[in-house]
Amino acid sequence: MASRFSSSIWRAGDVAAVILALTPALAFAQQAPDSPQAGGQLRLPPGATTGPLSGMPLGPVLTPAQKVVAALPPSAPGVLPPRPPLPKDAAMPPADPRDLQGTWVHNQPLLFRSQADMYGVAAPYTMAGAKVLERRVNSLKAGKPFINASAICRPPGPQWQRDLNFPFLIVQAKDHIEVIFEEYHGRWYISLDPLGAGLPAEKQYMGRSVGHWDGSTLVVETKDFKQAIWLDVDGTPLSADGTLIQRIRKVADAGQVPYMEIVTTIVDPTYYTAPWSIVRTFGWAPHQAVFAEYNCEEQVGDPSVNTDAGLVPEPAD
Amino acid sequence: MRRRRSAIVTRNLLAGAALGIAGTATAQQATPNFEGVWKIAAPTQTLQPVSGPVPFTAEGRKAYAANRSLRAAGKIDDYDITRSRCSNPGVARLALTPMRFKIWYRQGVVTFDYEWNRALRQINIDVPPQPDLMGQGLVPTMTGKSRGRWEGGTLVSVMEGASDRTLIDDLVPHGYDLKVTERYRLVDANTLENRITIEDPEYFTKPWDSVVTYKRQPDAIFAEDVCLDRILAKQPAFPK
Repeated sequence: MASRFSSSIWRAGDVAAVILALTPALAFAQQAPDSPQAGGQLRLPPGATTGPLSGMPLGPVLTPAQKVVAALPPSAPGVLPPRPPLPKDAAMPPADPRDLQGTWVHNQPLLFRSQADMYGVAAPYTMAGAKVLERRVNSLKAGKPFINASAICRPPGPQWQRDLNFPFLIVQAKDHIEVIFEEYHGRWYISLDPLGAGLPAEKQYMGRSVGHWDGSTLVVETKDFKQAIWLDVDGTPLSADGTLIQRIRKVADAGQVPYMEIVTTIVDPTYYTAPWSIVRTFGWAPHQAVFAEYNCEEQVGDPSVNTDAGLVPEPAD
Repeated sequence: MRRRRSAIVTRNLLAGAALGIAGTATAQQATPNFEGVWKIAAPTQTLQPVSGPVPFTAEGRKAYAANRSLRAAGKIDDYDITRSRCSNPGVARLALTPMRFKIWYRQGVVTFDYEWNRALRQINIDVPPQPDLMGQGLVPTMTGKSRGRWEGGTLVSVMEGASDRTLIDDLVPHGYDLKVTERYRLVDANTLENRITIEDPEYFTKPWDSVVTYKRQPDAIFAEDVCLDRILAKQPAFPK
C-alpha cells in the first residue's frame, strides 16, 4: 500500500449512500456567541466570509456542470479517528490572538469530498472541473483509483494536509510562520514579509504562501503550485494555477478551550466559475505534540512488492 | 548479504499519537536556546569514533562487511533504503544529513525539522504517554522513541526501539537493541555539539562515542526538498 491515505485505503470500506452536507460540528464552528447574523440562518464569527459570493448559484437551480457533480455517487461518510481528550491541566493556547503557535488537530470528521461550500451551496464547478471530479469518482467506482500526490509520497497540498485528523505544530517567527505536519513530512511555510523571509524561487507542491494579519485573522494566499492538487481524498480539483486564500484565527468562547478556524476560499477559474469557501476547525492538542513517524518512502520505493496498490495514472485533461 | 525482510507497515488510519499532557505553547524557558537553523560543520557520511575503530562484534563485523560488498555490487536497496528509497535515515544517521535543519523546543518536545526530505525527528522531554490505543508502539520506526532530559545546559536524549532497517551511518549496521544516547550542548552561541554514544551488544563489543558539530545558520524558509524526485531523476538521495 503506497500510503495510508491513498484513495484505495479510504475506499476500503463501502461507499455509504450519504450526501455530504454541513456537519453539526461545522455549523457549530460558525456560531461564536458574539458573532453577527450573516448569511441568513447562520451566525458567523467575525472575520469569516459573510455570505455566498456573487455569481454563485443559489438554491436548487444547478448549472449543467453542477448537475454532473450532483449525479455522482455520494462520497463515503466522514470519519473522525479517536483522539485522547485534552487533559484538564493542559496549558492553554497563547492569549495573543496573533500567536497561533502550538499543536492543533482537525476536529471534524474528514470530508472525503467537499461538494458544497460552507453554506451548503453547491460548489460552482465549470464543466472542466466537473469532468475532472467525475473522472476521479468514477475511477473509484471502477476500482481503479488514480494516483495522486499522497499515493506516491509527495506533498499533497495544504488543504489535504490540514484536513487529515492528525496533529500539526505551528511555530512563528517575526516574518514567517511554519506549519509542521505529522503526515507526509508536511511543511507549510507562510511568509509574512516576502522581502525579508524569501519564498523559494521555484513553484512548490505545497504552493508558495504569503500572509498578512487582518485584525486577529491571519490571511494567507497560497498559489504557485508545482502541479495540480487534490483538495480532498475524492479528488476535488485545484489546478496548478489555482489559489487558496486561507483566513485563520483562534476562536475563544468564554469558558471554552479556544479552537482554531480556517476558512479556505478556492479561487480557480479553470475549474470553478467563482470563488467558493469551505471551513474547518481545529482543536487545541498540546497533548499530541509528539508525532507518530511517517515514512511512506519505505513502502513506495520497495522494489520487492507492488507498491502502486492498484492505483493507475490519471489521464491528462 | 544483509537483506532484511521488509514488513510492510501500513499505518492505521485511526492511529494517533496518543500522548499526554503538554507543556507551554511557547518556547521553553530556563534552558539553553538551541532553537534556530543549524548545519553540520564538517559534512561526512561516516560517524567517526572519537577513538579507535568501531568496536564490532563478530556479528557486527560480518554485517558491516556484507554492507560493503553490497555497496560495491551496487545493490543499494539490499542494505541502505535511505539511499535507494529515501526512507528516514533514523538515529544517529540523521545527525549527518548534509542539509540544514531547524530545532524547535515547544510544548515539552524538541523537534528536529530537517530540510532533507522534510524529515522529522522528535525528542520527548515531558509529554507523558497515554495508552497506545492502536498498538503503534509495537512497530519499530526508523527514528525509534527518544526521551530527553536536561542536565544543566545539556540536552540528553536516549533513543531506543528503532527498526534495524536503518544504518548508523552510510554503512555501519545495527540491530533492534540499538541505543543511541545524544548529548547536545552549545559550545558557543553559534556552535552546537552532539556527542553521540552508540550501544548495541549484538553488533558492538562496547559503547562507542562520536562527536558531530553544527554551525548556526540564518533563519530561512526552506524550499521543499523531495528526495523521491531526486531518485526519479537518477540523482543521489543526498544531494552533493
